[in-house]
Amino acid sequence: MNLAMPSGTGSGLTEASKYGTFKNGRVRMNADPHPAKPVQHMRRNPPIEGEAEAISRAQAGDARAFETLYALHKRRVYSLCLRMLGNVAEAEDLTQEAFLQLYRKIGTFRGDSAFSTWLHRLAVNVVLMHLRKKGLPQVSLEETLEPSQDDGPRKDIGERDLMLSGSLDRVALERAVENLPPGYRLVFVLHDVEGYEHNEIAEMLDCSIGNSKSQLHKARMKLRDLLRSGERKESLV
Amino acid sequence: MSSCRNEQDRETMNCAEFQEKLPELFESGVDVSKDPHVKSCENCAALVRDLEYIASQAKLLLPIHDPSPKVWENIQSAIRGDEGNKEPVGASKRL
Repeated sequence: MNLAMPSGTGSGLTEASKYGTFKNGRVRMNADPHPAKPVQHMRRNPPIEGEAEAISRAQAGDARAFETLYALHKRRVYSLCLRMLGNVAEAEDLTQEAFLQLYRKIGTFRGDSAFSTWLHRLAVNVVLMHLRKKGLPQVSLEETLEPSQDDGPRKDIGERDLMLSGSLDRVALERAVENLPPGYRLVFVLHDVEGYEHNEIAEMLDCSIGNSKSQLHKARMKLRDLLRSGERKESLV
Repeated sequence: MSSCRNEQDRETMNCAEFQEKLPELFESGVDVSKDPHVKSCENCAALVRDLEYIASQAKLLLPIHDPSPKVWENIQSAIRGDEGNKEPVGASKRL
């Protein structure tokens, strides 16, 4: 895969936030313990009608075509930013930055992957750069994607207060997603919310497919913990 | 043969062993609720139902909404700055 990285993502970056350390503007995860497997769920990122033509025209410098690409992708890029930042102003700033990088780099898009994946990779890097710039305490990368015992999901062995009530609403789920550690949140949003496949996420985050799968499972386990503790609190009121 | 042995293995698994295998089972595309361990363990059955439920509810979260029009205005303005061109990025204009 020969994807150009967006400019401004830096190189040799070693600073980190509590969300972790990023190198070359990318998140790095552990080695892949699992081989790639076939796609398991229905793809939710089908080609968009008119997109290919708009890309070609935008690459040739057509302003209207770039505006078309913005119109086609602004909501998803903004949604990703907002879910990762939890703040409208910051999410809008990062959406703006992501599309500016798109404008500057669209000539390097070769179509080796879906445009949406390429654009999301660019947006993900903008988000991660922003998190790093917030100057949060430096910790190892593993903690980005492998939160500490306190933050991470736990095994559910021998517990007796079982299932979620089945009346989970969007607000509760959005709130729980906001409370996930960023490494988990990113993979959960990309896979379960946005519908990207593990091979695409691995490409976006420059990590292994196995690690993407592992992070997703941990994210769902952690969400379950968060949602169940929310339900317990509600039942006490 | 090997599949039967896997099923037998899972029947004799304890919860910790099953939960270690769970990410792999979800990704394999099999119906995890029919797993021998799940059928015999109320706790792991609830866990599987919850995780499947969370994944299904997550699909309902998109979309949020569009960013404000100000975002596109700022992009246009920044592009003008990039290009050193005072004219707006318009319909017939080349970037």
